Amino acid sequence: MIKKTLIAVGALLILFPTMAFAEDPSAAQLNMGLNALWIMMAGVLVLLMQGGFILLETGSTRMKNAGHVAGKTIFTVGLCSLVYWAVGYGFTFGGDAGEVLNKFIGIGSFLFEPGLAAGEGENYPSSIFFVFQLAFAAVSLSIAWGGFAERAKLSVYLIFTVVFSAVIYPVIAHWIWGGGWLAADGAQDFAGSTVVHLTGAMAALAATILLKPRIGKFNKDGSVNEILGHNQVYTALGVLLLWVGWFGFNAGSWLAVGDGFFGFVAFNTQLGAAGGAVAAMLIAWMLTGKADITSMLNGALAGLVAITASCAYVDPWAAVVIGLIAGVLVFFSAKFFEKMKIDDPIYALSVHGAAGVWGTLANGFFATEELVTKVGIGQPGLFYGGGAQQLWVQFESVVVCGAFAFAAAFGVLWIVKRMFGLRVTEEQEIIGLDLSEHGSYGYPEQMKKTGMSA
Amino acid sequence: MPDFESENRLRRIAGCQDLEQLKSIRIAEQQKLEEELHSSDSPLLVNRLNKLHDGIISKAVHLAENDLARKGHGAPPVPYAYLLFGSGGRSEQTMHSDQDSGLVYADSLDAGTAERSRTYFTQFSEAVVDSLLFLGYPLCEGKVLSSNADWRMTLDEWRNKLDGWFADPSWESVRYLLITADARAVTGDTGLAAQLQEHFYNELANHPSIAGRMLENTLRHKVLVGFFGQLLPERYGSDAGTVDIKYGAYIPMVNAFRLLAVREGIRATGTLERIEKLQQARALSSEEAEEARQAFAFVLKMRLIGKIIPAQLGRELTVSLKESLKAGRKIQSKLQGEMKHRFGGR
Repeated sequence: MIKKTLIAVGALLILFPTMAFAEDPSAAQLNMGLNALWIMMAGVLVLLMQGGFILLETGSTRMKNAGHVAGKTIFTVGLCSLVYWAVGYGFTFGGDAGEVLNKFIGIGSFLFEPGLAAGEGENYPSSIFFVFQLAFAAVSLSIAWGGFAERAKLSVYLIFTVVFSAVIYPVIAHWIWGGGWLAADGAQDFAGSTVVHLTGAMAALAATILLKPRIGKFNKDGSVNEILGHNQVYTALGVLLLWVGWFGFNAGSWLAVGDGFFGFVAFNTQLGAAGGAVAAMLIAWMLTGKADITSMLNGALAGLVAITASCAYVDPWAAVVIGLIAGVLVFFSAKFFEKMKIDDPIYALSVHGAAGVWGTLANGFFATEELVTKVGIGQPGLFYGGGAQQLWVQFESVVVCGAFAFAAAFGVLWIVKRMFGLRVTEEQEIIGLDLSEHGSYGYPEQMKKTGMSA
Repeated sequence: MPDFESENRLRRIAGCQDLEQLKSIRIAEQQKLEEELHSSDSPLLVNRLNKLHDGIISKAVHLAENDLARKGHGAPPVPYAYLLFGSGGRSEQTMHSDQDSGLVYADSLDAGTAERSRTYFTQFSEAVVDSLLFLGYPLCEGKVLSSNADWRMTLDEWRNKLDGWFADPSWESVRYLLITADARAVTGDTGLAAQLQEHFYNELANHPSIAGRMLENTLRHKVLVGFFGQLLPERYGSDAGTVDIKYGAYIPMVNAFRLLAVREGIRATGTLERIEKLQQARALSSEEAEEARQAFAFVLKMRLIGKIIPAQLGRELTVSLKESLKAGRKIQSKLQGEMKHRFGGR
């Protein structure tokens, strides 16, 4: 056996001598290759977060909508990819706009054609950068679906995917990451507490306001009913998938292997998530007398969302504090939205909205001089001698991006509502979207048992 | 001072000829009591209300006896006692309590009487349960009813049943023992009920470890007071905003004092009476007893009022409610601590 292998290798060496005696790669090429591997892996992790969203959203909703909720995620990721490739990427990173226009939107790179390999002096191939960025856009979109859950028509998902992936998300991403006006102001949003999470949450808010609450969520006398999700194990698994994917999301956003700084980012990410989970469980237990699982899961996600903006800018202790505060915040936020009679089935508004705002603002408090210098964006925070300037910039970016995302999403959905309507009929909602939108149930046996009345 | 009003009421109940009359008395009397709800001392009111219930139920039992005689089934072949369990047994019924009932009758010397007794009491208890249903006492959902053969037995059969429960302290058996601990004869031969109780307490003394199982059986109902001493109202559904007084305050306190009392061999079935006897037995200090009395009296009052919405309760009542709940929690954790000390954790 060994003999045969050696003979084969020897023969191959004679046939293709260059394989054995190729020129050594340069240091720059090695560097590029390592970066490319890491960003590709991070991009795959972020794409895998869609699995987290599928399980999270399906587990948190009812059986009769399970197939629809899960399937539409795959469909919209597909559609989002095409739209983002055609125009979204260009509006975010296109470099052909004039100086004034570029403050607001990028132009160029439409129907994006990446090079076959990284060009001279590039840190990674643009194809991999595209995959990574696309995965972010898809995450933001899947966050928005929280506001549509269990009652929006499938066609609305289609229309909104196009508008969101083409314009709404790219514009905000351009402002902060694509060299737009907020980038020029020094807004710090390392991996997208604002760009990805707040944007998605604002779209969810617009949707849930226009769609109105699900049937049976609120009673006539103003009291609230609990519409429990059908599988808490799915929900927990969804959170775990998201948590793991977040290492790609945050640590990948350093876009380099280099000196290993991405490890520090991952380290802070873990601390933030842990703080959120623990704080939410404790606050729920202290205030309601029950150690509520849903609250705890929301807390873990809120910790992750919050640390997303700051993971490269803050010390580990601050990451813990940011996570802890996010865990408490998400609990009160969920109560607040319920009190406002806003139906938020997946808690998207609290987890991605409230925690996204907090995470972005946290930079204004906790960003350290050393890390700001390393990342090279903005100023240190209030607690590190930077004064209130960075806090103001963070505040500005939250308000402006939040307002834009909400207004744009609301406008689009309002028009759709006027022209076609957003919501399925009462009968369709009661029998479930699996049947009304797709023709068969995700759990056929179980749903037949309940006589289609569930 | 003789209570003319209740004497008068009892006379009127005694004079009833049929269920219709009895029902109208129940409605009228409860209405009167309802009007006094906010002004009267709650233990006194609960006492009067339960005397009324006892009177109505006893009368219904006697009417059923007469009815059976009229239909040619004769008089009861042997003496019997009609038992109340649950809040009835504790003399803590509200205006809308369910029936929780049982029956114990004397053992017969010969097989013929035994057979006749069985037939007679089957018909009899069904008649009583139906009458009470007509009078506005809903059936117990757990089927703890004299019309259910599991709760209608001769004294010997009862003793055997108790022995079985004590010998096999499974979750169900312990639940039945806890139910039996509150049994009280509302009418009939109270001596039979006393003998049943005697057997219960003798067996209990022979099975000291059963107290630990009783505690475990009741732990799932926690006093609804939060980490910060705050109230914990329902968050969802049509009762959102209300405090669940029954399962969040009343039942945990009943359970705690029942267990303390049973452990000391105190045979009183009412909770306030149990507290009194516990103090006499020095199982509770006089401060503890006083705190417990006040807390439980307040909870009884809240329970009579029905739906408690903290937001509409007013400051004074809210403070009292919180204090009562905290006292309840204190007694619960005192009990848990002592039991853990005696039996170890699990």
